[in-house]
Amino acid sequence: MEQYAGGNPEAFIRVYDVVAPRIFAFLLRQTRNRAQAEDLLQQTMLQVHRARDQFIPGAAVVPWAFAIARRFLIDSVRRGPREILHDGTELDIRAATSPRADDLVAASELAARIERTLAQLPEQQRTAFQLIKQEGLTFAEAAEVLGTTVAAVKLRAHRAYTAVRLELGSDVATELEEPDAEGCLRPQGVRS
Amino acid sequence: MSQPVPPTLPPYLRDRLMQAVRSEPVPTRTDGARRGALVVALGFAEMAVISLAISHPKTWGRPVAYLDTLVVTWTFVALVVTWIGVGRGRSMLGRSPRSYVAMIVATPMLLLVTAIAASMHWPATLADASTPFRHAGCVLGTLALAGGPFVAFARLRRGRVARRPELTGAAIATAAAAWGAVALILVCPFTSPVHMVLGHLLPIWLVAALGWVLGERLVAVRLKAG
Repeated sequence: MEQYAGGNPEAFIRVYDVVAPRIFAFLLRQTRNRAQAEDLLQQTMLQVHRARDQFIPGAAVVPWAFAIARRFLIDSVRRGPREILHDGTELDIRAATSPRADDLVAASELAARIERTLAQLPEQQRTAFQLIKQEGLTFAEAAEVLGTTVAAVKLRAHRAYTAVRLELGSDVATELEEPDAEGCLRPQGVRS
Repeated sequence: MSQPVPPTLPPYLRDRLMQAVRSEPVPTRTDGARRGALVVALGFAEMAVISLAISHPKTWGRPVAYLDTLVVTWTFVALVVTWIGVGRGRSMLGRSPRSYVAMIVATPMLLLVTAIAASMHWPATLADASTPFRHAGCVLGTLALAGGPFVAFARLRRGRVARRPELTGAAIATAAAAWGAVALILVCPFTSPVHMVLGHLLPIWLVAALGWVLGERLVAVRLKAG
């Protein structure tokens, strides 16, 4: 992004290649609508482009882009009811992680249950959970995206974990590990 | 639950975005800095014009050293406050909400402490000859003088996503009001602490409240319709 802000137009393609897939995954989970996610991604990346003249050298691009995407997402939700289209998108997202068909089905069912539980949570808790657990942001980065403190993000994420665990019980005991103090994910099944 | 691999993006998305980027040219950082400087200069020019319209700078019987002390210290405070409120630190999302709250709360207090300290050194300035009408005049003066810098600072941050747009708006407004306070002491003859508080310092919080109300509209990014 620094190169792009400095005047190299080709550098934006590299920014896109690094940032866009993560933003798209986030938007896809939130909207469950591929067309809407694509549109919001385009708007987000255009906003990143528009801020070219004000880019701060050394500033983190990913949390900033997530914050823009989240802002646009909130805007789009305010403008109309959230469309939930089961068009197989969720299956596509997770397909790459499960090589066997039965594993894929089990993982998809579990993921769908988690998504349903998350959908019932307050937006702030759900987003904190998704940014940390699903998008791999650290607590500090998630706090930056959400405009709050690290402590508040930890609390929101913890509440979301607790709600999901209560809802899903032992099925996710080993699947749903909380991140450590730095927001890093521990290996599955390993509890400290 | 393992972390999923991000979905593959179709090539047409990138092509569509690059086409949109090409159709909407944005200046480089260097050009942006030049434009920003021009906007700020225009904002301060507007403040200077209003200040001169109120009155030409006079001592109004105040000790020159008292006035110099106040102008220098308040200018320093305004500079620091602008650095905190308008600058974004090392994050594209601006400074932390805590910094903004601390800055908004502390600015009038800092100015008051320096004004009282100066008045203690020049006791004649403690005498109160102001009236409620004069207090109200200075409230309006602060609002008018802060207008130019506020528009300029808001222009610098317009359309840039912020952690808390309303708080960012209040911080920008506080910085603008601090400059308004500096300009106002050059033209206001009253120096008593009561007048300073009611006419010059409390209006800073009034401007901050205005910034809070307008923050979402001025600073936040919005999804384009359609």
